[in-house]
Amino acid sequence: MCKLQLKSFLLATLVGASLVGAGSAAARDLMVVGFGGGFQDNARKHLFQGYASATGQKVMDDVYNGEMAKLYSMVKAGDVTYDVIMVEAPELIRGCEDGIFEKMDWNVVKKNKFIKDGTSNCGAGAVLWGVTLFYDSTKIKDGPDTYAKLWDLKAYPGKRSFRSTPKTTLEIALLADGVAPADVYKALATPAGQQRAFAKLDQIKPQIVWWKSGTQPVQLVGSGEVAYAVGFTGRVVRANEGGAKYPLLWKTLLYSVDSWAVVKGSPNAKEGFKMIEWITDTKPLLALAEDWAVSPANTEAAANPRLREKNPGMLSSHVNEGLFINTEFWVANGDDLEQKFNAWLAK
Amino acid sequence: MLIGPLFVLVVASFVVPLLITLYTAIGNPELRETLPRTTAAVRAWDGTGLPPEDAYAAIAAELAAAQENQTIGPLSRRLNFEQTGLRALLLKTARAKDTLASPYKDALVALDSRWEDPELWRLIRRNTASQTPLFLLRSLDFTLTPQGSIAHAAAEDTVFRALFYRTFEISFWVTVLCVVIGYPVTYTISTLSPRWANVAMGLVLVPFWTSILVRTTAWFILLQREGPVNALLQAMHIVDAPITMIFTRFAVYVAMVHVLLPFVIMPLYGVMKGIDPVYMRAAASMGAPGWKRFLRIYLPMTMPGVAAGALMVFMLSVGFYITPALVGGPNDQMVSYFIAFYTNSTINWGMSAALAGLLLVATAMLVVLARYLVPGFRAGSVKL
Repeated sequence: MCKLQLKSFLLATLVGASLVGAGSAAARDLMVVGFGGGFQDNARKHLFQGYASATGQKVMDDVYNGEMAKLYSMVKAGDVTYDVIMVEAPELIRGCEDGIFEKMDWNVVKKNKFIKDGTSNCGAGAVLWGVTLFYDSTKIKDGPDTYAKLWDLKAYPGKRSFRSTPKTTLEIALLADGVAPADVYKALATPAGQQRAFAKLDQIKPQIVWWKSGTQPVQLVGSGEVAYAVGFTGRVVRANEGGAKYPLLWKTLLYSVDSWAVVKGSPNAKEGFKMIEWITDTKPLLALAEDWAVSPANTEAAANPRLREKNPGMLSSHVNEGLFINTEFWVANGDDLEQKFNAWLAK
Repeated sequence: MLIGPLFVLVVASFVVPLLITLYTAIGNPELRETLPRTTAAVRAWDGTGLPPEDAYAAIAAELAAAQENQTIGPLSRRLNFEQTGLRALLLKTARAKDTLASPYKDALVALDSRWEDPELWRLIRRNTASQTPLFLLRSLDFTLTPQGSIAHAAAEDTVFRALFYRTFEISFWVTVLCVVIGYPVTYTISTLSPRWANVAMGLVLVPFWTSILVRTTAWFILLQREGPVNALLQAMHIVDAPITMIFTRFAVYVAMVHVLLPFVIMPLYGVMKGIDPVYMRAAASMGAPGWKRFLRIYLPMTMPGVAAGALMVFMLSVGFYITPALVGGPNDQMVSYFIAFYTNSTINWGMSAALAGLLLVATAMLVVLARYLVPGFRAGSVKL
């Protein structure tokens, strides 16, 4: 009797354990991770849950701040709890070479619907983002509309705010010094071009306030802490919706693209690719655009007149005026230029 | 015997992770792991002239495989850190796999003339060693020449010595300010009636329990150009135009001293409350004037509290990150800022570990030094 009980207990435990094991593998919802904020709140409704109701696949979403250390630890430890993730361009290239992201399954995701530079080995383009020069037109009547004019401290006095990274700042310095947009990265790849950029920045260094988080430029201009700032266009558009009068100076645009990727070792990789295919399609993007001004990396959606009308800060309308931030350049030269930039800051 | 479990816990959760992290500062696994055949081939080569054909064949095949298997990233980043531009060379070579054929030496040289450079091959050979001093050297503004000897980093690349100096300078002044402000405050609290002393300690403790981020952000709002402090100064006609306080060293000192002050007040309060007033009365009865009673009797008796508080403030300051990042300018950032930068932004964990290790060693050395030089560290209740 006792023996039988023990046996059935063991059997029950084994069955139970196997059920739990099978349950956890199959029942984990698809986990999508983004940068949060208003975009994600609206993407949850139209993209993530839209996909869920279209397919019956349960979808959860989470937020990260773009820092990759956690993702690297997750993949190295083999304990992957994220499936689909939104990443910036340099992190995407680096993560792809490091085996942090799965290679994109272009049989599932249709490659031809994306804009130029919108796809890579591991990523499918999600949204465009950019920075431009802006100022408060209620305080300043005719501000500078090019970077060359921004360097004119006599005509345009006051502090200027740039992001405290060499990326974007060095490009801006060269543009201000008269380098043609097409030649910026060629110049920056040479020591002479780098010196030229730093020398140009030296001219206005005491007038520069450096920002670190994306909320700062709008706040700095809003509070009068600085007269001019180079900040994210999305934030400027949002501030204008809130009543601010910050002109968007498209001639000063520098832009890049954020992508969707599938995390290496994700148990839901196949589902992840299917979801990426769905959420980069025109229909859900247009639905999203009704509630949130997006600049999608989908050619057809970006060309849609209704979407353009809904988003005054539509980047794809202005990419011809702007400079595409060269991802490959920054992955290759970032470490070196970061160090030079920090050394220059400390001088 | 009874401390056995505690010992195991400390070793497993503190000592082992710490040692693993510190080892990252000198570990050099990328080339050996990603290019094992190339490693064997260049190790067999004597390091003069160019390596034999099998090294070229091995590196061409292994780079292509590494790109296919998504393992080329750590290697290309590691060698690019050694010499900017090598990442592009490795990726170019990996991508060209279909156009390369035997003899690989000629094929690689035709692809990019850098493969003909003996210095490049010596650099590769040097990095087949399982340890590298490069991260530690770079953290002190030195570098390795292609020949493998140590040299000063170029002027436009020097950051870190100034950074360490700045970190200790800020920490030193924050400690001094905390002691100078905390000492009279604590003395006043210790002379209050128990009821008012409780109120005063409450005023010290409530901010102490508030998150550092919240307190720092509060200082940001107070000190900004159109913030309350500037408004007050202008209203009182002390200044005509708003003065720049935010993003300066001044703001860093104000916010850090505010955040760290309780760490001086609390140990000092305990010590001051424990001093029997009878000693001061005895000194007075023997004719010692006030300043002499303070210098000869009270101050030496409170030194253990000062030492404990100062030590805590100094150690915490050295690792400060959020406060300088939020209210300081680019010239007010400390070592932790760069540790976080290399950990999160560039995934260069060798540099993070090297900076962290150097900071740990430098702080430990200063604490040991202080123990011998500053009175009160050895005597009294502070045991280190």
